[in-house]
Amino acid sequence: MLRYRQVLSMLVLLSLLLMLSACTAPVAPGAPAPSASDTAAPVVTWYYYDQDNTDPEANERVGNFYLAETIPQFNEEFVGQYRWVNVPRDYNLVLDLVAAVQNNGDVPDIMRTGTADLPTFLLNNTVQDITDYVTNAPWYADLDPKAVEACTGPDGKLYCVPVSESPYLVYFWTDLYPEGFPKTTDAFLAKAAELKADENFALTYWGSTAFDGEGAGRYYYQVISSFGGSYDDGQGNMRLNTPENVAAVEFMREIVANGYSPEAAFVGNFEEEASFKDGLAGAFPTGFYIGYQYLNPLKSPTGQEFNTVSAQDMEDAVNTGVMGLAPIFAPEGATPGCHMDVFGFVIPNGAKNVEGAKAYIDWIMQQERAVQWVLRAGGGVPVASSVREDPAFQTDIFKQGAAALEASDCKPWYGSLTRIAEAKKLITETMFNLLKGNPDADIAAALAATEAEYNSNN
Amino acid sequence: MDWIRKRLGLSAPGWLPFWVIFPALLVIAAIQLYPTLYTIILSLQQIEPGTGQFVFVGSRNFERLFGSIAFTRSLVHTAIFLLGYVAITLGASFAIALLLRQRLRLTPLYITLIFVPWIISDVVAGAVWRLFVVPDYGLFSPFFANPALFGEPNGISILTSVPPNQLSPRVPLPPAPALLFLIVASTWKILPFTTLLILGALQTVSPEVQESAKIDGASNWQLLLRIILPLIKPMLAVTLFYLLLGGINGVGMVFSLTGGGPGTSTEVISYLLYSIGFSKLDFGLAGALSVFIAVLNFGLIALTLKLSAAYEEQ
Repeated sequence: MLRYRQVLSMLVLLSLLLMLSACTAPVAPGAPAPSASDTAAPVVTWYYYDQDNTDPEANERVGNFYLAETIPQFNEEFVGQYRWVNVPRDYNLVLDLVAAVQNNGDVPDIMRTGTADLPTFLLNNTVQDITDYVTNAPWYADLDPKAVEACTGPDGKLYCVPVSESPYLVYFWTDLYPEGFPKTTDAFLAKAAELKADENFALTYWGSTAFDGEGAGRYYYQVISSFGGSYDDGQGNMRLNTPENVAAVEFMREIVANGYSPEAAFVGNFEEEASFKDGLAGAFPTGFYIGYQYLNPLKSPTGQEFNTVSAQDMEDAVNTGVMGLAPIFAPEGATPGCHMDVFGFVIPNGAKNVEGAKAYIDWIMQQERAVQWVLRAGGGVPVASSVREDPAFQTDIFKQGAAALEASDCKPWYGSLTRIAEAKKLITETMFNLLKGNPDADIAAALAATEAEYNSNN
Repeated sequence: MDWIRKRLGLSAPGWLPFWVIFPALLVIAAIQLYPTLYTIILSLQQIEPGTGQFVFVGSRNFERLFGSIAFTRSLVHTAIFLLGYVAITLGASFAIALLLRQRLRLTPLYITLIFVPWIISDVVAGAVWRLFVVPDYGLFSPFFANPALFGEPNGISILTSVPPNQLSPRVPLPPAPALLFLIVASTWKILPFTTLLILGALQTVSPEVQESAKIDGASNWQLLLRIILPLIKPMLAVTLFYLLLGGINGVGMVFSLTGGGPGTSTEVISYLLYSIGFSKLDFGLAGALSVFIAVLNFGLIALTLKLSAAYEEQ
């Protein structure tokens, strides 16, 4: 018979073992237990979609259903060779991946990402150089060179595979802009004065510092790049104090001072969208994908409602001619500028099944698979020209989006900047202060101070 | 303990107490000691661009932190927030507790109702208060937009107005309306708990002592200042301690009510930490700020303990 002391010692040992077991690698949530006969190597993906979430009202329902439908298809096609295991993540997956790679933790073999995250990945050595694989792939020649450039690091190597791209453009109500959205800044100001006389706002936009400065790549960059400006000098330094940028800020100040935009433009947390969705503001500069996917339900200035509360609302509004898409305005003779999001895949450092990851990408890049991925998991318009010709992308909304992309000079807002999280916060804080906080402040001095603050850490 | 010793056959205490608390010690080491030490190590390191490797940089993160505008600005915001939050909460809690002590007919109902804000999460409370002041449709927005009350041309908008002539970027004074609104909302949230703490303390003050003081000619004011307040001072110290620590470390309400804005007007030190660590992914700098906040917390704990000890000596 065991003595009490022995029992106690065993209990202590057991608790110690339990704790140690907690420190070992966790089983990926959502990973099905392999059957005895299934020897296929897992290809682990990270998406912020959850294949097991069947809630038809879930925010990411489109992506959730996409995964639920396509995971079995992949597994069937690669039976005995690869098995797709998706680990659903929340929106912090960039942070999670950086931390996982740094700590030699469990990393996926492949992750869906946007190129706006690429500088962060490169700074932290999070993702693999996949130049050889991509440039030798059969689908490479078909890709939009701009998207390929967005996946290219400062060293000229490729670090991601672009699948879809989403330019920043302007969604506008044709009730308020029956002759189309103004092409020049002067025409816009004239029209804005007219709209104000009728108690309408000409436009609303992301003017706040919300989400740690997300606004830097949106309206602010659209206007600045349309004036020929940028945020960097091409050498990794921030350069804000330029005549073009000063002119752009002066123009944006005029919009605020004249009351052409609602107060809510500076609130954040998506309040800026509300007046556009309700038809009170005539236009909303945003990403093609964002507008398509998230601007719903809609009510036009004349009261027409679109309320399926899905991407269908925007599609219906465009198809019926109530809503239009256009490039943002630019000074006379200048080309409209815009930021472009490119979505695709990265293969992280530490990935266990790199060959499986490549097989997965090749599978996704097939025409039909790519169509589904862009429509339901990626967003925007396809990067591959052959996929863009698919009938699924011949609807009015995609045609107008593609036309706006063609008419604009789109590039990533961060240019050669590498610490983009820091940059975007500094830039939006400065822009907010110049437009709203202290509209009489010296623009050039404020821009110079901001660039000096960023560059001091270079 | 004796019967345990006998049952286990241990005549002397030996290692038994250690083994009994050993699992708890392991848990504490795993979830508190290790992260603390790791954070200190992190504060002395920085990621080498391009390699993703942490390299030792000595005190560079602290130099960066103390030299940054964002840090001094957030300290000023935190100080203003704490001042308002602690003063209003303590004052209001004490006043409400005095009222509730009167044993009115519906006192139990009042106590139940007053506890409602406490059971709401910070994030939900922040979101609700935010809805009150959203421009265009917020319940209180027309009130604040009244030019007669809040100045020409359109009054103020809590979530977007920033005083135009602040002292400097490092010293953002006067504070933005959003920071004052954050104080009010945070006070509303914590008030039930602190009120109950003080009410509990008030109920321990012997009625006989109070009656004796009154018989000796003490006015109500004297009774309050000379008898009641000194007797509940330990609980007031605990409440103060709780408010200070909660005020420095709390981020939920800031996150959901203002998101640090407008601009950076409500970026308090805990929000700055979140921003540096989880948005900028600057783990070294976040480690340095964590160490600073920990020292601040330890300083406050030491101060409170000293105050309590001084009171006990009295």
